[in-house]
Amino acid sequence: MALLTVENLHVQFKTPFGAVRALRGIDFELDKGDILGLVGETGCGKSVTGRSIMRLLDENAEVTEGRILFNNTDLLRLSEKEMHAIRGDRIAMIFQDPATALNPLFTIGGQIYDVLRAHNPAPAEQRRKATLELLASVGLPDPAQMMAVYPHQLSGGQQQRAMIALSLAAEPEVIIADEPTTALDVTIQAQILDLLRTLQRERAISVIFITHDLGIVAETCQKVAVLYAGRVVEQGAVDAILADPQHPYSRGLLAALPRPGSRGTDLKVIPGNVPAGLERIAGCAFAPRCEFVMDRCHRLQPPLVSLAAEHQAACFLHEDPVHG
Amino acid sequence: MAFLSFLFRRLGLSLFVFVGVLILTFIVSRVIPSNPAALYAGARPRPEQVQEIEKKLGLDKPLSEQFRVYVGDLLAGNLGESYHSRRSINTDLRLFLPATLELVIAAVLIALVLGIPTGVLAGAYPRSPFDYATRFAAVAGVSAPSFWLALIAQFIFFSQLGWLPLGGRVSRDATLFYPIAAQTGFYLIDAALSGNWKAWLDAAHHLILPALVLSAYPVGITIRMTQASMLEVLSETYITAARAAGLSRRVILFKLALKNAIMPALTVVGLSFAYSITGAFLVETLFSWPGVGKYVTEAVLNVDFPVIIAVTLVVTLVYILVNLLIDLMQALLDPRVRLI
Repeated sequence: MALLTVENLHVQFKTPFGAVRALRGIDFELDKGDILGLVGETGCGKSVTGRSIMRLLDENAEVTEGRILFNNTDLLRLSEKEMHAIRGDRIAMIFQDPATALNPLFTIGGQIYDVLRAHNPAPAEQRRKATLELLASVGLPDPAQMMAVYPHQLSGGQQQRAMIALSLAAEPEVIIADEPTTALDVTIQAQILDLLRTLQRERAISVIFITHDLGIVAETCQKVAVLYAGRVVEQGAVDAILADPQHPYSRGLLAALPRPGSRGTDLKVIPGNVPAGLERIAGCAFAPRCEFVMDRCHRLQPPLVSLAAEHQAACFLHEDPVHG
Repeated sequence: MAFLSFLFRRLGLSLFVFVGVLILTFIVSRVIPSNPAALYAGARPRPEQVQEIEKKLGLDKPLSEQFRVYVGDLLAGNLGESYHSRRSINTDLRLFLPATLELVIAAVLIALVLGIPTGVLAGAYPRSPFDYATRFAAVAGVSAPSFWLALIAQFIFFSQLGWLPLGGRVSRDATLFYPIAAQTGFYLIDAALSGNWKAWLDAAHHLILPALVLSAYPVGITIRMTQASMLEVLSETYITAARAAGLSRRVILFKLALKNAIMPALTVVGLSFAYSITGAFLVETLFSWPGVGKYVTEAVLNVDFPVIIAVTLVVTLVYILVNLLIDLMQALLDPRVRLI
């Protein structure tokens, strides 16, 4: 039973040059207790999807179509007040760069304390204790001292731990982690991923993990949705998709990864460029770059079709018995 | 410790500024073609009279010697004597400066209390009717001439409604029946200190209109600065993060965002404070407010250099202190600012 379902989500940004269609029909499901990876390159709509779920899109953005079902409630139909009760409390968010996501003028303790106060009418002393426990649970040394420390006094990894503590404060059911390790160096990345996995398991939180790193998806997620130009092109169990990608774009992405055996040879690239946001796309957005492109790819949008129990792809190759 | 060393270093630097201003104004006052001795002597003096006065005032001595004498007096706390009225400038300033400071402080407080919340809301709801209304009000406040505002205010609140007095610092009744015992020269403080609440109310009544008129400019500029820096701060990731964490709009705007956005507003308010001390002249004149603006304007018209230099130095001092205060506030607000 899916905890969070995104259906046919369309989002566009109004610009002076016309509407930029950032999401062109996103579909995916997040099951309870899963970590779902949203992968894709810059501009494919990963972050916009995350923000849409939180209903924290910029003012010039508009959801034109679709539903976001959370426990069978369409978040897009909630009033701002009802949505406010969900933010932080039931769905929380972690950001890419903790240095900019933490308020520079308030102590770590104070920021967590504020979140606790917003969600929990407990007395002050109890809240203080809860703050200390949160700081300890994300592996920050000396929580008592951390209470009084400002973000700039922490390292990047410590900042991200503090940010994670903040997002956990109200015990949410879902965490949207928007590239939480991209701004960190590799060893710290591993620690933060480890922490996220542990917390997710211990607290039975479901996570949407937004990243552009297939390696992270492989070690962290159970499910993955591959995004291209505002659509999901392939999704399913991580093992199945990484072992045997079916969409030409996913195949290209995997082939482009450097491997130990390919030392000395050129890295494979996908020819061409991602379509610009202002372009009208009639058929499959990947068609101009696809080596298997067919006539109808330019005219019709391929729907997501099931290939196996936990594997779907949106490509005419898999509908057509001739090419199947 | 860091704080004290910062304070001393800043005061040391300020001393340079102060001495620079002192030297400049002193030189300017001596090279401008005018004859202070003739001024001192009064109408149509005889040449030997003028010579005598030059000797008496030390104007016949070389410039360096004159400067040395002036600095000596200054260090002894003596600002000299007006050439025009021959009154001690110390006595005059003790009378006029608190009047002006009371007025300017009131205006600046109005600017903070009115301007900052308005700016916060205007920044929080860009392109809303409220935003446009405050933009209009802010531009009007900054650009409307103070004498015009004063006349309008007097017409409405004195002539038409009769709510507020036309001018002066207290009414005649107050001076006659419950006079304020002068201590600091700030009537509101003096009246409160002696528990003279009738006089306090009377003085407050007199303060409202001139303070409001004088605050038009700082209010306008505070609104604009707060609004602009709120707009910037509200687009920061930590604001999105605060919203994602489910914090209330009130906490986000007035606590998390405002603390980040308030510094530019405080800076311009500080500048307008120093500016208002002498700029209050028109307002002081129209409201018969016995302040420094009026005092120094008369001095300028009479080329009364000792007064001009003295007021310049006092304003410099206020300017330095206000800026120091603002720097300290910035360090207090922002832990990343190191006191260097």
